[in-house]
Amino acid sequence: MTFFSGIDIGSTAIKIVVVDEDGRLADQYVTATRSHFYKNAREAFETLLGKMGLRRDQVGYVIATGYGRKLYKEADDSISEITANGIGAHEVGKAHGGVRTIINIGGQDSKAIQIDSQGAVTHFVMNDKCAAGTGRFLDVAARNLEIGLDELGDYHFQAAGGPLDINSTCTVFAESEIIGLLANGHGKGEIIAGIHHSIARRTVRLAKKVGIEDRVFFDGGPALNKGLVAAIQAELGREIVVPEHPQTTTAFGAAILARSEFLADFAERLGAGRDFHVQAGLSEQGAREACSPQCDAGGCAVRHGA
Amino acid sequence: MKDEIELAKRATPITASAPSATVVSRSEELSPYSRSKQAREAERVLNRIIDDFDDNPQAMQYFYDLFRRVHCRGESIAAEGPRIGTTCIQAPEELIYAMGATPVRLCNGSYHYDQIGAEFMPAKSCSLVKATLGMLTSDNPVPRVGKLDLVVNPTTCDQKKKASAMIEEMGHPVFNLELPNVKESEASRLYWRRSVRQFAEELRGVTGRKLTRKNLKAALARTQRAERAFRAMDGFRRASPSVLLGKDAFLVVNAYFFDDLDRWCEAVETLNGELGERLEKAVRAVQKKAPRIVFTGSPPIFPNLKLPLLIERAGGVVVSDETCSANRMLYDMTAVDEWLVNDMVDSLADKYLKPCTCPIFTKNEDRQRRLLELVRNFSADGVVYQAFAGCQVYEMEQRSVARTLNEQGIPMLYVETDYSPDDEGQLSTRVEAFLESIKTRKRMRT
Repeated sequence: MTFFSGIDIGSTAIKIVVVDEDGRLADQYVTATRSHFYKNAREAFETLLGKMGLRRDQVGYVIATGYGRKLYKEADDSISEITANGIGAHEVGKAHGGVRTIINIGGQDSKAIQIDSQGAVTHFVMNDKCAAGTGRFLDVAARNLEIGLDELGDYHFQAAGGPLDINSTCTVFAESEIIGLLANGHGKGEIIAGIHHSIARRTVRLAKKVGIEDRVFFDGGPALNKGLVAAIQAELGREIVVPEHPQTTTAFGAAILARSEFLADFAERLGAGRDFHVQAGLSEQGAREACSPQCDAGGCAVRHGA
Repeated sequence: MKDEIELAKRATPITASAPSATVVSRSEELSPYSRSKQAREAERVLNRIIDDFDDNPQAMQYFYDLFRRVHCRGESIAAEGPRIGTTCIQAPEELIYAMGATPVRLCNGSYHYDQIGAEFMPAKSCSLVKATLGMLTSDNPVPRVGKLDLVVNPTTCDQKKKASAMIEEMGHPVFNLELPNVKESEASRLYWRRSVRQFAEELRGVTGRKLTRKNLKAALARTQRAERAFRAMDGFRRASPSVLLGKDAFLVVNAYFFDDLDRWCEAVETLNGELGERLEKAVRAVQKKAPRIVFTGSPPIFPNLKLPLLIERAGGVVVSDETCSANRMLYDMTAVDEWLVNDMVDSLADKYLKPCTCPIFTKNEDRQRRLLELVRNFSADGVVYQAFAGCQVYEMEQRSVARTLNEQGIPMLYVETDYSPDDEGQLSTRVEAFLESIKTRKRMRT
């Protein structure tokens, strides 16, 4: 059995996904990026392989993505996180009836991506260089309010009054605004709900720039925050699809791509011919994808389109 | 008069050297100037332009050396006659040359000067204007223009208009060349013609010479040679796969800002010869499938070639552009066949107003038409639109340009940026994703 991996080295977290020959999620691992991008990514990859009981040579193809993609020399290839996110969301979104618009909030940026029915990116926008409305913004806010990042969601729903207006979108200015609100005796719940709505407004504005089509998919670490999800739904006026593992969609996309690159390479190397899938040692489905369409003529045992 | 032209031709601005000759070694001892921040910035970018790419055309060496001497070593630019600074391509250079003066375009691309110039401008304003002011106020201005006899400042956008008084305060005499806000009306045309005539009058005061049919014709012959050379180079860029990278093309036209006119023409003609050979021998500057990009918006000016370099390092190629630091500067050729000098000046004025696609004009459908034409003629796959943060007119036109391109199924990447290098990581992600999406699109089509 051959496995394929996508490594998403983000500004805040390293996300690694391993898929099997049929493109199914085998296992995944998330850890903090910290300052040693390269070293931590390598260690994380080894940790995941150890956990799965795999040898490195059982992983046929690795694609790196995210901010640190160029530093990770062990990868076979690298791809931008926007393309990878599109592929991952397309794949994960199938279970939800298909998605065409993706909102992604990461550690230091936010993006809105539009994909076509094949999962190819048609349009995308990304926030400019400041960290307003990103994961970092939530991080700073949580620290100011002396609560954990994972508690933000609960506080959101405990807001006594309606959400407060947080006008500053700048992370630095919002910090002083939050302190001001605390000084005026406002509760943490209202402030947090206000922060979520402020991020949501900004994100929805971004999404409108690419155009909202069909189902909206929301991923990235902050999508784990139920309060933020509720705020974005409210601002958007429609329901959004949040996947089971929002943090790893992009790494999953890279792994899916790693698999198809590998199969394409394989098909090229072996060429078409009989007993192809036996030679390749691939499963029925893997072989079917790898050897089409030339094999038909060669009397290949794989039944195409079956 | 003939003698004067001969003199101008022989004028050797920076230390004489034939095109594509002198290779300057990097280990050469550094002058004190070379240690300045501006020089180090220029050096860093220039090295990237040269070293990050294989197989640069031999004839580009002339331009690499020129930028190294002028921008990294601070060699001064000698010029024949009075020196006229220009802050925009709307200043008719033919008039300047005709009266025996030398134009030097002051629009600056240095982040270092941008920071110095920030002192004069509100927080969110155009890097180009800030850098130009920063350069003019600096002790070590680069290009080292020396004393400017006049700065001609076409009244284009608000920031450039208001910069005029500041340039004057810095001790440079300024002539405001009044440009109308509307391009189509007859009133604008007449108004602009009068402005250009006034400019000729002003130049007469500065140079002490009179504009004649003869000296204007001679000047036109010189600038036409440059336009022909540019057009020829542009023609080679239509080839697919490309024989010339956009980063080199930008550098070539950026050199026109300050290089000696005749020497520049000679160097471009040499380059064109080499490009012709490359085309024949099928020497490629990029991979066959490299996405072909038309660049538009705020002008890339050395050392700020950040975005074109990101595109080309990510495997794309800038095949053409619609910017005032390159294509818009030399594309429209001047053919003046009037008999009287005043009529000649009028038709010259028309040449400057009519084809201009600057977003400062109220309506600017010409720019969209031009972009579609470029995409078609250069078999481009997409458009990258750069707007300097604070350049309102380019920021505002983004919507209509995006809509027009979208209707034609041409993908566009809009990037708001400035001269600072701190968004390079983020921009490279966007550029790569854009190029990847173009590649996917192409693959699906075939």
